[in-house]
Amino acid sequence: MTDLSVSVSSASGPAPQVPLPEAAPKVTARGLNFYYGEHHALKNINLTLGTNRVTAFIGPSGCGKSTLLRIFNRMYDLYPGQRATGQLLLDQTNILDPKLDLNLLRARVGMVFQKPTPFPMTIYENIAFGIRLYEKISKSEMDGRVEKALRGGALWNEVKDKLNASGLSLSGGQQQRLCIARTVAVRPEVILFDEPCSALDPISTAKIEELIQELAEDYTIAIVTHNMQQAARVSDKTAFMYLGELIEFDDTNKIFTSPSDRRTQDYITGRFG
Amino acid sequence: MNPIYASRRRKNVVIKFLCLCAAAFGVTWLALILFTLFYNGLTGLSLQVFAQDTPPPGSTEGGLRNAIVGSIIMTVIGVGIGAPLGLFAGTYLAEYGKHDKLTSVIRFINDILLSAPSIIIGLFIYGAIVVPMGGFSAFAGCLALAVIVIPVVVRTTEDMLGLVPNPLREAASALGLPRSLVIRRIAYRAARSGLITGVLLATARVAGETAPLLFTALSNQFFSLNLTKTMANLPVTINNFVQSPYAYWKELAWSGALLITLTVLALNIGARILGAERTSK
Amino acid sequence: MAVESDVMEAAGPYDRARALSAFKLGDITFYWITRACAISVLLILGGIIISLIVGAWPAMREYGAAFLWTQRWAPSADPPVLGALGPIYGTLITSVIAMMIAIPVGLGIAVFLTEICPLWLRRPIGLAVELLAGIPSIIYGMWGFFVLGPFLANTFQPFMISIFDGVPVLGAIFAGPPSYLSLFNASLILAIMVLPFITSISVDVFKTVPPVLKEAAYGVGCTTWEVVRNVVIPYTRVGVIGGIMLALGRALGETMAVTFIIGNSFKIQSSIFAPGTTISAAIASEFAESDGLHQSGLILLGLLLFVLTFFVLAAARLMLMRLEKKAGN
Repeated sequence: MTDLSVSVSSASGPAPQVPLPEAAPKVTARGLNFYYGEHHALKNINLTLGTNRVTAFIGPSGCGKSTLLRIFNRMYDLYPGQRATGQLLLDQTNILDPKLDLNLLRARVGMVFQKPTPFPMTIYENIAFGIRLYEKISKSEMDGRVEKALRGGALWNEVKDKLNASGLSLSGGQQQRLCIARTVAVRPEVILFDEPCSALDPISTAKIEELIQELAEDYTIAIVTHNMQQAARVSDKTAFMYLGELIEFDDTNKIFTSPSDRRTQDYITGRFG
Repeated sequence: MNPIYASRRRKNVVIKFLCLCAAAFGVTWLALILFTLFYNGLTGLSLQVFAQDTPPPGSTEGGLRNAIVGSIIMTVIGVGIGAPLGLFAGTYLAEYGKHDKLTSVIRFINDILLSAPSIIIGLFIYGAIVVPMGGFSAFAGCLALAVIVIPVVVRTTEDMLGLVPNPLREAASALGLPRSLVIRRIAYRAARSGLITGVLLATARVAGETAPLLFTALSNQFFSLNLTKTMANLPVTINNFVQSPYAYWKELAWSGALLITLTVLALNIGARILGAERTSK
Repeated sequence: MAVESDVMEAAGPYDRARALSAFKLGDITFYWITRACAISVLLILGGIIISLIVGAWPAMREYGAAFLWTQRWAPSADPPVLGALGPIYGTLITSVIAMMIAIPVGLGIAVFLTEICPLWLRRPIGLAVELLAGIPSIIYGMWGFFVLGPFLANTFQPFMISIFDGVPVLGAIFAGPPSYLSLFNASLILAIMVLPFITSISVDVFKTVPPVLKEAAYGVGCTTWEVVRNVVIPYTRVGVIGGIMLALGRALGETMAVTFIIGNSFKIQSSIFAPGTTISAAIASEFAESDGLHQSGLILLGLLLFVLTFFVLAAARLMLMRLEKKAGN
């Protein structure tokens, strides 16, 4: 982290400090709180994910950035004793509505995890599996969709000759791209990335970062990362979180060159975290 | 050398030697049992054993066909009833009820049933099925075996599903999969070899069970496929033949014992190989 | 790269809602099926208790608590006289002797497997011990009847009898004549049967000892035995006792291994070389031909056995759970 300032400035250019144009809001949080049992994990979060923008969440471990991400698709609902209050909208839909169809929500808000999680089936099936859930389509149509999704995941050229191999036979980076392709195949509107590169080598990481930027043309993207250079490289907007609070949320350029909060400044310069 | 150190060393060597003896003791029994089984069982093992039914007292013409077929039928039906039930119950414990009070109670009771004396299961089925139905029947025997299968499968299912990494479930949920599909399509598939191992172990466990059949399926000297009547089976036939005065019956008992043991050992080893496969992955 | 912006509208959320609602019923059904199956485990326990109590009721009314300390067992007397003392005594004594043999040997094997054995031998010996656990109990019984019984009656028993002849107390315990059918033979078979349980649980439990603890002890110069005695055993004591109780639960209820070689005598004798009976052996050998009060008495015996093993097994599980918690922390 010693050469941080150098790499940041080289990634984002000589920071002209022109604010990004406002994007239409896709996900809006107002007064969002989250509790693990008694523990108040997220405090009064207010932010907006802009349509087709990449928003990065950074902060020291335990600051609540992954927790926040897991509210966007209600993943926390799998576990007892966890609850969220406040308001969280996906377009006009209230995500926190207890009557909301969670499966439907998750089809609209896809997620890619820290460790690659290919299903224990063939590469083809890994993709087709999710599609088949929602649509009845012919074999040839399915072939087309699978190819499209694998292309979307920048994996097609590497696997087109071994679609029937097990998803587990791929390398870590390929597995992660398979997971991205699988997510894309269901045609979500938002894709959440939870530290997607933390288990990968630098080359695979670079491929995924490139892919994320391409995906931003069609999807709204939120990415949690502990790697600040990564946030600087891939995101349009960055949110810095600390101890369950959203400290600063602004254009990535601004956060990394002239943050307005002292704590943000300390964190990005490596003074803690 | 320091005398205290020397005595410590000596003590250590003695105890190590005793542990070695203990291991030798354990392995010796297995070797002895297998040896006598093969020695006595192989001589009588001929085609006749598989082709003919159990002989009447005193006769030296006959085999174990009815008992073998009966055992297979009852084991298959017993496992067929018990395994799905245990699989679903184990699924509930591992997937839905993970944080439930009810789950810990069920798990505790299941662990007790797992080691409960099998003769008690026989008494239970006698009271619950044989008496109300008005007689011994192969079906009652199947149920007794099923009751023994259930706790074994519940336990292995819960353990094996517990080994499926949670991120895999989350990833499936994140695609919008309903919970039941996450379990059936993803968790079951990821745990498949472990689940099969559990069923194999349960099959091995009941294939040689005798006590619960003694007063449920009883036995039958003749070939029968009727589930509502008594049915011959290997363990009870062995039980009856061992205590008989007829040399030929005893010979058949040895052959039957060899057959059962080989089957059970094969199932056990098969289960272990499958289990090893999944852990090496 | 323009990823299917055209199709995005075609697959609107409404379309998906319909597809998903088709799963709803199956989702709920699957939940309730698994839940019902889980609850059926409790129903089985309830069924066992109820059916045993119903079956044992006539005998309970007839004999009351005296059943527990009456030694005479005369089912064909008129009216039948039934007392459980003989089988209870036999059950306890065979289990105790079996545990006296199996605990040191089983733990010895476990120590051997985890601390002493060269790696290449670990798997074969471990496998042999586990296969020993898989052999059906009737095979043990048969083997005991044809092989072990005659062997003991001709060698070990006469030897012990002659050694302790005339010694007070011990002379009575090891009194002759030698017999194929005896409490001791049954105990030895039981010991061989429960050995693998003790070993495999102890091995599992020994593995929960954090390596740092052992390394620290070796680091100050402890011998293998000292590490086992001062680190491994104290750390895992609860689990080892749990494993032993589990084995005891098995020994108490074991039927077929015992029935052939115990002699089915309801009379209590001081010598462990004399025939006796256990609860499960009594049920196994008499139940099929019993009726009326006799049968009810046998079911009452079964109820006693169930209660006894239930508490032993429950205690075993509680201890193992305590160790699991400790390992989890």
